[in-house]
Amino acid sequence: MSGDFLTVSGLTKRFGGFTAVDDVSFSVRQGEMISIIGPNGAGKTTLFNMLTGQIEPSSGELSFRGGIINRLPPHRRARLGLGRTFQIAKPLIALNALENVMIGALLHHKSVRAARAHAFDVLEQIGLAQRAFKRASELTLSERRRLEVARALALDPQVILLDEVMAGLNPTEIGESIALFHRLHRRGLTLLVIEHNLAVVRALSQRVIVLDHGVMIGQGGAEDMLTRPEVVSAYLGKRREWKPS
Amino acid sequence: MSSISGISNGSPAATDMQRLRRAAVHEPFGRIVGKYLFGLSLALVPFGLLFNDYYSINILTFVYLMAGLACAWNIIGGFGGQFSLAHGVFFAAGAYIPAQFYLKYGVSPWLTAPAAAAVVATAAVLISWPTFRLRGPFFAIATMALNEVAAVLANYSDSLTGGARGLLIPFKASFSHMIFVERWKYCALMFAFMALTLAVVVVIRQSRLGYYLLAVREDEDSARASGVNVLAVKLWGMGISAALTSVGGTLFAMFIRFLDPPTLLSLPDIGVKFALLSLIGGIGTVWGPVLGAFFIIPAENFIRASLGGLPGAHLVVLGLLLMLAALFLKKGIVGAAAALWRRVRATP
Amino acid sequence: MENLFTILFIGLWLGGIYGLVSIGLTLIFGVIRITNFAHGEVLMVGMYGTYLAYSWLGLNPYLAVVVVVPVMFVFGVLIQRVLMQPLLDEPLMQMFASFGLLMFLQNLVLMLTRGASLGIPSSGRADNLSIAGINLSLGHVLAFVASTVIVIALHFFLRHTMMGKAIRAVTQDKRAAATMGINVNRIYRLTFGLGTAITGVASVFLTPIYTLSPSIGGDFVLAAFAVVVLGGMGSIWGAYFAGLIIGVTEAAAGFYIDPALKSAVWFLIFIIVLIVRPSGLLGTVGAEEVGLREQH
Repeated sequence: MSGDFLTVSGLTKRFGGFTAVDDVSFSVRQGEMISIIGPNGAGKTTLFNMLTGQIEPSSGELSFRGGIINRLPPHRRARLGLGRTFQIAKPLIALNALENVMIGALLHHKSVRAARAHAFDVLEQIGLAQRAFKRASELTLSERRRLEVARALALDPQVILLDEVMAGLNPTEIGESIALFHRLHRRGLTLLVIEHNLAVVRALSQRVIVLDHGVMIGQGGAEDMLTRPEVVSAYLGKRREWKPS
Repeated sequence: MSSISGISNGSPAATDMQRLRRAAVHEPFGRIVGKYLFGLSLALVPFGLLFNDYYSINILTFVYLMAGLACAWNIIGGFGGQFSLAHGVFFAAGAYIPAQFYLKYGVSPWLTAPAAAAVVATAAVLISWPTFRLRGPFFAIATMALNEVAAVLANYSDSLTGGARGLLIPFKASFSHMIFVERWKYCALMFAFMALTLAVVVVIRQSRLGYYLLAVREDEDSARASGVNVLAVKLWGMGISAALTSVGGTLFAMFIRFLDPPTLLSLPDIGVKFALLSLIGGIGTVWGPVLGAFFIIPAENFIRASLGGLPGAHLVVLGLLLMLAALFLKKGIVGAAAALWRRVRATP
Repeated sequence: MENLFTILFIGLWLGGIYGLVSIGLTLIFGVIRITNFAHGEVLMVGMYGTYLAYSWLGLNPYLAVVVVVPVMFVFGVLIQRVLMQPLLDEPLMQMFASFGLLMFLQNLVLMLTRGASLGIPSSGRADNLSIAGINLSLGHVLAFVASTVIVIALHFFLRHTMMGKAIRAVTQDKRAAATMGINVNRIYRLTFGLGTAITGVASVFLTPIYTLSPSIGGDFVLAAFAVVVLGGMGSIWGAYFAGLIIGVTEAAAGFYIDPALKSAVWFLIFIIVLIVRPSGLLGTVGAEEVGLREQH
């Protein structure tokens, strides 16, 4: 069923005495574009890490494409169609851009030749084709960001988890990235985006989920969420009257 | 890049992109095979020159053997980034097993070599399975411990390995015994071994396994997120590497014809040597280990000869070299040469 | 039953030595997070140094502590500064470098001593006990005492002095420590020096017991790693107690199997601990998963 595409129920993660993610539940339909927002430390990246398998949840269930994936190792989830970018870009430094993307491409394109072709196509989509032969260490920050996305796209994923991919990009680059994601979305890709940039959030959400201190404090349309008092206060603190002394 | 013009699809940008695509996708098989053959021919030159010099041919034999062994190590150590000190054990097993089958049952080493390689590879995979769970240094320590234990067991078990006294293979020359009168035949055999391991390395480098090994080396988590089954990749690399190392051990056994634990399982002489040669030559490159062998083995012999009486002198030098290389020559000779080449190309 | 007591008795004295040898290693491991393959060779150098103090300066080997320990401290600081500090972010190269150091030290001593067997003659045969193929002497008892004194002293140092607290701060989070004005590299040098100095103490107490040879380091390093892993990386009390456990295990192995196979036993322990409970007895859970690289 469409509601069962990607489901998180009762997801909790405790690190010793600290609860990073507290009983979070939501459902993603195939083809949706969802933003996850919340102040720093709200548990967003931890949530992603549990989704892709880098971290084991303390409790709760994850299901993807109709099956429970709690026990699946990260590479199997990738094979099922769950792709992600890392907040701190982790390119494979000694390899060039093309080879970096090939690693992902090899998942579904078994021959090296086919993988190369697919990797190049992805690079072209992303706009990095000209830099295909540059070593990852020689790329600029924004190029490395895009390389991260390319590596995830090379997996031919059904869902892609984007962790603050716009951080550090200038407005033009942001605009191009948004356009790219819209293109991909139109072709059926489901997007889960962690973002701080509100303009990006507005552009890339059919739905917004808000986390604060590990708790989901609301979900709904972008405009609705962004103006709710509890969301605003989560970012900015409580509204108080200033009384001159 | 090829310069193909006049493509039907109009705009120059599209043409550029097509050209770029072709360059990216095109696999230069011809060039790869060509480089392989060229490199081998270069490596063959000393063989031709030193053919009649007994002393030099012996050294060259050892150079070829160590080059092959270093290449084998490099598969998991260089490409895969797993610093294994257990390869001495695979080497020793590849030496002891066929030697015993030859001594006790008269079976030709040509037959037992591949069988032993299969056994050793399987054992390597089984041992590595739990051990690969250990991150970096712990893995290295565990493999080093494996080597020590193997040495102890080898000393202890008279029936399996001849214990501390070792095994002596009597000189009965024949092709099926893999024992030759003329030293150059051994040299040729070792050359063939080196050619074999190099071929395997070249094939792996261009294959899915090769790319996956590199990904595992660079960043395991990143690799996992890209769908790489990290453990499986490491095990494959280890298995292939162990099998080749075992074959090298067999050849060594029939060349030296005297096997004992210090000869086979001494870490500085064998276990670490493979890693050392790869580092000096260029770890993680195809030709690095070969270059490392060609530089270090003759140098080591030279030092040993000139500093004659002083025990351990050549290892002092090697130890120093290892420290200096780790500090200043991380990419090895290949890396330094490549950097030099880039600098030369860049200056107008 | 009396076998059991014998084993425990021997094991404890042996364990004192293993603890002594490993405390320095676990300190370095825990703070700087580097693997020093040459730890055994550092111990060996200290032992030869003690011998030199004995044969050249006529010092009672135990008094040689006064000379050996400061020298070892400086030696340790040098190793950290010259070899390890430049390679802090490159674990593979660290391993190569420390292996190079191992080869260098071992063979340098071999070269200089021409492989002659050296040893300090036992003060008196009367205080030697021979049980189950293992020779115990007063030296063992002294080593055990030294081990206990060291671990207690180190505990106080780490808990109650500024320097010790700085070391613990760096162990927990080096970036946070740096923002509080702690010079991390300086702490690393100090730690390596301290760890090496402690190993120097071990050398002094070991010299009267063993016959010296350049390869004696190798005899200890595997046991030392087993102790560190069993006790928990970075835990000095862990090293102390794990040393005792390893000692008892070796005694038991010597009794029931064969003393020659003791390294096989260490290896087994090492592997089993790393697989079943990688953080060891007293280490922080998860430290080994994060690996020795996590603080970039």
